[in-house]
Amino acid sequence: MATANAAAVNLPDDPNVRGDVVLDEPVAGREPLVRGQHDFHSVTEMVCRVNEVPLKKTPMPFVFGTLLASAVFAMFGGYIGYLIWVGPGIWGNNNPVGWAWDIVNFVFWVGIGHAGTLISAILYLFRQKWRTSINRYAEAMTIFAVLAASSCVALHTGRVWMDYYLFPLPNQMGLWPNFRSPLEWDVFAVNTYLIVSLLFWYTGMVPDFATLRDRATVKWRQLFYGVLALGWRGSMRHWVTYEKAYQILAAFSAPLVLSVHTIVSFDFAVSQLPGWHTTIFPPYFVAGAIFSGFAMVQTLMLPARHWLGLKDLVTVKHIENMNKVILLTGSLVGYAYAMEFFVAAYSGNQYESFTFINRATGPYWWSYWIMLSCNVVTPQLFWFRKIRTSVGWSFVLSIFVNIGMWFERFVITVTSLHRDALVSSWDYFVPVTEALYLLGTFGLFFTLFLLFIRFFPVIAMSEVKGVMPQANPHWSGYDKKGHHAPAHAAVEEVHP
Amino acid sequence: MSHTIEKPTDITIPSSSMWAKLPVLGGICAATGLGATLAMAFGEHQARAMFSYLWAYEVWLAVALGALGWVMIDQIVRAGWSAVVRRISETAAATLPVFIVLFIPIVTVGYHALYPWTHETDAILERKRWFLSTPFFMGRAGFYLLVWAALSIYLYRMSVKQDAAGNDDMAKARISRSIWRFSAVGIILYVLTQSFQAIDWMMSLQPHWYSTIFGVYYFAASTLAFFAFITLVSMGLQKAGVLKKAITIEHYHDLGKYLFGYTIFWAYIAFSQFILIWYANIPEETEFYIARLHGGWEWVSYALPVLHFFVPFLYLLSRQVKRKQLLLGLGATWILLMHLIDLYWLILPNFGAHGEGHHEPHLALSWLDMAALVGIGGVFMATFGWLLARNKVVCVNDPRLPESLAHENY
Repeated sequence: MATANAAAVNLPDDPNVRGDVVLDEPVAGREPLVRGQHDFHSVTEMVCRVNEVPLKKTPMPFVFGTLLASAVFAMFGGYIGYLIWVGPGIWGNNNPVGWAWDIVNFVFWVGIGHAGTLISAILYLFRQKWRTSINRYAEAMTIFAVLAASSCVALHTGRVWMDYYLFPLPNQMGLWPNFRSPLEWDVFAVNTYLIVSLLFWYTGMVPDFATLRDRATVKWRQLFYGVLALGWRGSMRHWVTYEKAYQILAAFSAPLVLSVHTIVSFDFAVSQLPGWHTTIFPPYFVAGAIFSGFAMVQTLMLPARHWLGLKDLVTVKHIENMNKVILLTGSLVGYAYAMEFFVAAYSGNQYESFTFINRATGPYWWSYWIMLSCNVVTPQLFWFRKIRTSVGWSFVLSIFVNIGMWFERFVITVTSLHRDALVSSWDYFVPVTEALYLLGTFGLFFTLFLLFIRFFPVIAMSEVKGVMPQANPHWSGYDKKGHHAPAHAAVEEVHP
Repeated sequence: MSHTIEKPTDITIPSSSMWAKLPVLGGICAATGLGATLAMAFGEHQARAMFSYLWAYEVWLAVALGALGWVMIDQIVRAGWSAVVRRISETAAATLPVFIVLFIPIVTVGYHALYPWTHETDAILERKRWFLSTPFFMGRAGFYLLVWAALSIYLYRMSVKQDAAGNDDMAKARISRSIWRFSAVGIILYVLTQSFQAIDWMMSLQPHWYSTIFGVYYFAASTLAFFAFITLVSMGLQKAGVLKKAITIEHYHDLGKYLFGYTIFWAYIAFSQFILIWYANIPEETEFYIARLHGGWEWVSYALPVLHFFVPFLYLLSRQVKRKQLLLGLGATWILLMHLIDLYWLILPNFGAHGEGHHEPHLALSWLDMAALVGIGGVFMATFGWLLARNKVVCVNDPRLPESLAHENY
């Protein structure tokens, strides 16, 4: 057990540095999930501090950032107005490329959402305790990403004011959506996803809202958090109900991790178009979604933990674990690319082969190689522990993945379409105003995300406390060196 | 502080138990089963015998490959709960070298009878020659089999070496770290070889057909079969007085969760493949399902979603079922049975579908199926039993063993 203990000691006292120190991986026992000599109270302080800064004293960089994001969001509002006024003609979409950035942006954003659900539901069912430090903002990210995705998909219909026909509303004309179309399944899948994620996110926050309410020193905050806390008193009965509800919601959310992106993949794969129609699409899309989502969590979390002083809660161990998930899902995506390419060659079908060779060497070769290098090649650097435990590398590579995954959807959507079966219909898609469209969705996303950071508890306090050594009934205090209880303490203790 | 957990002492197979007799019993099964199958393979029922043989081979290979994959995944994710049953899977994986020998009939007597692309040709097959050619096929098969043998032998050897490390914590840690590093690289080789094995040995039975998800389908099937197998073996070992206290209902509960989870995963992959092919309705792809919707096979096709998914799904949904040995054992047996049917449905419709006197596929069971299944199963179980009795049944020095012994679901 010497190695396990060696990992636990020798941490510096500086909370700005402590979280970044890379410890040897213990062979027995587990690395502590919270660093420093924290107790329940200091965790509460650390997290609530962010929300309890008086409004007038909000740090200027934060105000500036929120203003910038909301300015972009406002621009998006104007862009939507322009889109509705003029119509989708403001895009480069035309025959044969009838789907382009509208769908690319939708799939990009809805994919990002998946990491939140995976972290909160599947890692919960797999007893991955490290999830507690990252699940809250991953879930928030999910919701805002799904909203960004919905704004894309709702706007691409052309006559936006007729969107209610997407829902099966009884009407005197007897007009119903086509239930056999995966596009219609999408309506249900994405809405279910939004509702369940919202419920899950909110349920998890109730005890933390109550903490903020109880600590509130100003009337508006008391009222605001008081309403959100739904009368939570923290009684044993509340906790029992809460834990049950949480587990049931986790079980409901787990299949959603698979179903939503599976149905998104059906949008393409049920067709007969080479490049779209291939049976590996459902699991491949799900892996890609988790991949892009984890990258986005890294992109958001790495600066946040630094600026908000949360390094003791979100340690380099958390970062490493997420990078491992990125490496795994990135490799799965690579497997899918390779399998598609191989089967295109194996099939002996010249249209299949053409599509894939055209992707790599045709007019859109650059997008294919951006996709391949950002999604398959650069994440492989995470094989090296030095790189996957480095904050800087993690941030840069996470940005690469975000870029690569956007291009993946571009490659799938546009390159498969631009070479029609009739050579006379071949075309080269060029975007017109779409860059503003993509930018606008980022404005929407970041405005909501920054507001979330300012007003909601960014870390699930009550859950983090549950994985601290203090939560173990046999815990006997931090050891003499003043840093940590032995990492394997929980292991050697047997619950009666 | 608190009391420490006792290390298990009932860690070797008693010589009086059935497990100790497995090599002999398995040997007898192998001799009769394989003897009968191979004897028929040299007669006029050559093709039928070899289809039964290939099916039985894939059935047991799935268990061994599932074990190999899981041992590596288990090490890579640093799983804590499972150290107590890991030796069982390491042993099941360590049977893989035997599959090299068992593969020989497939590429000798069975080669032409099984794989129509070896002697037939048409415009499509001509374009597939670069991949479906005898030298390349043989080379690949050799590569897969050697990779599996190397991976499984290394993992088994290292784990046994750790048993001998005594109280030397540093040595134990060193071995664990080596296994981790090895598994991380090994899993890549594993995923590729097991997928391409499925393409080579099963998908190419119907050589015009292709499906990119096929490798994932086999992965789902094999992992599910392995979890059913390890659940039943754990129960059987405990019956024989091994690891009586070490394996608890908590471990069975987790194994049950995996059975449940992989049941869903299998159904997800099977459904994805079906709906996409059905929806697009492209002739190159639908031929796979058309062959399985005629001549009696339709009943298997209709039964699979119900019996392979809905029944075990609803059954294993309950926490009570996963936490009662008898009920979980029944579930695992059921799943193993479904695994047989699933692979039967993948492989057998190709029998007689090509070559001279080819006919529409029709479902016809043969006693040869049973003979081949018992024969290859005999070889597998004999090797498994022999290896299991040679060493301790649990990784006694695994640094995560205390964590596993104390494991609780909450």
